[in-house]
Amino acid sequence: MKLSSSACSIARIPSLFASLCRPICSTSLSLSPSSLKPTTPLFLRPPTFSTSLSELNKWHHWAKNLASSVGSSFVHLDNGPDSTLLCRELRWLLEDSLEDHSLISQLGSQNYHMDVRLRASLDELYVLWRQRIEERRPFQYIVGCEHWRDLVLSVQEGVLIPRPETELIVDLVKDVVLDSRELKEGLWADLGTGSGAIAIGIGRILWSQGRVIATDLSPVAVAVATYNVLRYDLKDMIEVRKGSWFEPLKDVEGKLAGVVSNPPYIPSDDISRLQAEVGQHEPRLALDGGVSGMDDLLHLSNGAVSMLKPGGFFVFETNGEKQCQFLVDYMENNNPGKFCNVNIVSDFAGIQRFVTGFINDKCH
Amino acid sequence: MSMATQLAWKSNSLLRFASKSISRSTSNGCIVAHYSRSFFCNNTNMTTITSMRPEFQLCCFTHSAASNIIGSKYLELTDEELMKQCVMDTFKASGPGGQHRNKRESAVRLKHIPTGIISQAVEDRSQHKNRASALRRLRTLLAVRVRNTLDLDAYSPPPELLQILPPKSTFRGSDCGPQIGPNNPKFILGMQALLDLVFAVEGSISDAAKFLGLSTGALSRLILSDDSLRMAVNELRTSKGLKPLK
Ligand SMILES: C[S@@+](CC[C@H](N)C(=O)[O-])C[C@H]1O[C@@H](n2cnc3c(N)ncnc32)[C@H](O)[C@@H]1O
Repeated sequence: MKLSSSACSIARIPSLFASLCRPICSTSLSLSPSSLKPTTPLFLRPPTFSTSLSELNKWHHWAKNLASSVGSSFVHLDNGPDSTLLCRELRWLLEDSLEDHSLISQLGSQNYHMDVRLRASLDELYVLWRQRIEERRPFQYIVGCEHWRDLVLSVQEGVLIPRPETELIVDLVKDVVLDSRELKEGLWADLGTGSGAIAIGIGRILWSQGRVIATDLSPVAVAVATYNVLRYDLKDMIEVRKGSWFEPLKDVEGKLAGVVSNPPYIPSDDISRLQAEVGQHEPRLALDGGVSGMDDLLHLSNGAVSMLKPGGFFVFETNGEKQCQFLVDYMENNNPGKFCNVNIVSDFAGIQRFVTGFINDKCH
Repeated sequence: MSMATQLAWKSNSLLRFASKSISRSTSNGCIVAHYSRSFFCNNTNMTTITSMRPEFQLCCFTHSAASNIIGSKYLELTDEELMKQCVMDTFKASGPGGQHRNKRESAVRLKHIPTGIISQAVEDRSQHKNRASALRRLRTLLAVRVRNTLDLDAYSPPPELLQILPPKSTFRGSDCGPQIGPNNPKFILGMQALLDLVFAVEGSISDAAKFLGLSTGALSRLILSDDSLRMAVNELRTSKGLKPLK
């Protein structure tokens, strides 16, 4: 994986403690402009802290017990994580905190006075793990990153953590660009880009002439997506623009080869019942799709007609079977003859998740 | 029904089933057919899948001339081609998923339809990486479990097998290039060919060594150099009442 070294220089001094003290905001828009400096993910911070193996061991023991005490209570409460998953997360936290990963297997060994280099102080690690368990702060916000496809993306409060389901959008795009030079070299748009996940995934499969414009209304998302684009050395290929859906794209109307989006699609009434990690910590702007959850999907499907060029391709992620079928019907009825090869694609759990298709012309 | 007939019947019906489902997915022209709904959403409990040690079944699938793909051919497929022969699912389909959930699982399970072999990976942090790990494991499992029948009278070691042999082998010409070790992805092809031979000689290392122009000791060392290979050979030897290699 090639990461730009200059990209790391835009990383600010770790402001972990600042972010800990800051109240967790439910909408990204309420963040003050000064917090728009993206936080450096834990694994990229310098290993400037040290402790002894025995102190680390103590922490690990404590953290494991805390995780075990959860049992399956979160599962029953709101379908949250069980202790098996929490213990796996604990190992990943260690991986991201330790300069030397091989120490993980030595935890509990005799070598007690050995010095251990850490990327966060032991006190921070206590605070962080307590937040994970007691406040249900998402693991990905704790370590400041999410592993998604073959990428490691920076994330923080105010930006949606990219989901495993969404990884498939990049594969769907890969499948269509494979047989079309026009799509491979074309201009793509990722609307509501969040961390920039889909845009970066696509940027890495297009040919060098290809371009992606990633848009988001949230200033935090724009800042984090920009940071991630720089880290993957794609700034010549991906442009991040701030604004609502197609608004920042007026200059490319009718010129897009592809439009992809994972817009907010959860019905407003369901938001209060989400698992705590999502409902209490992720931005509502990224989740709430209005009464039926379809406000943004309908807006996007209408816009796609004029924004895409003939033969252009689209993928939209939805809440499941009901929304997929509604969207397909809506497209056929509202813009008859405009789309073709409209398909519903299931995710890996077998849930109908995506609607894909082309703008008519190319498919005869 | 004898054991062998049962196995033949089982693999046959699996193959028929496979060809049906594959043709269904290609005939409707849908580019994403292989991502479609999986057949087994409800049965696996994550906690039972922590160890990824492959289990060995002996001679699960002996490919006869009647089947159109011979066993070693699976390993020659690209990742994408092999993936098309698989259905993939994640372990949990509880709830609506997507934006509703903080990632619970990025675990991946692949079922290779033509053989029924299942391979899985849970330990990576992204689904993409778990898929790659599962695919790598599938290749090992295919090498270990799919046997091609050999005609020992006309046997000469195929090039992919010569590549993994130590230079001392008298059959190894200078055109073979340097010896390929277990970390090279091509090792698996040679491993499958080697297992075909060891099975054909019913687990006798000294017999197999003769066919390869090696000393018994040199072949033992090669077999012991890779865990999957060693385990497969020892499983066979135990079943034949021979002592396992150490
Ligand atoms: C479900 S998140 C998806 C984020 C990212 N694409 C992903 O898959 O991880 C939806 C995104 O849409 C953005 N969004 C919400 N309303 C928007 C609007 N009117 N215009 C542009 N983006 C919007 C949110 O800020 C959020 O980043």
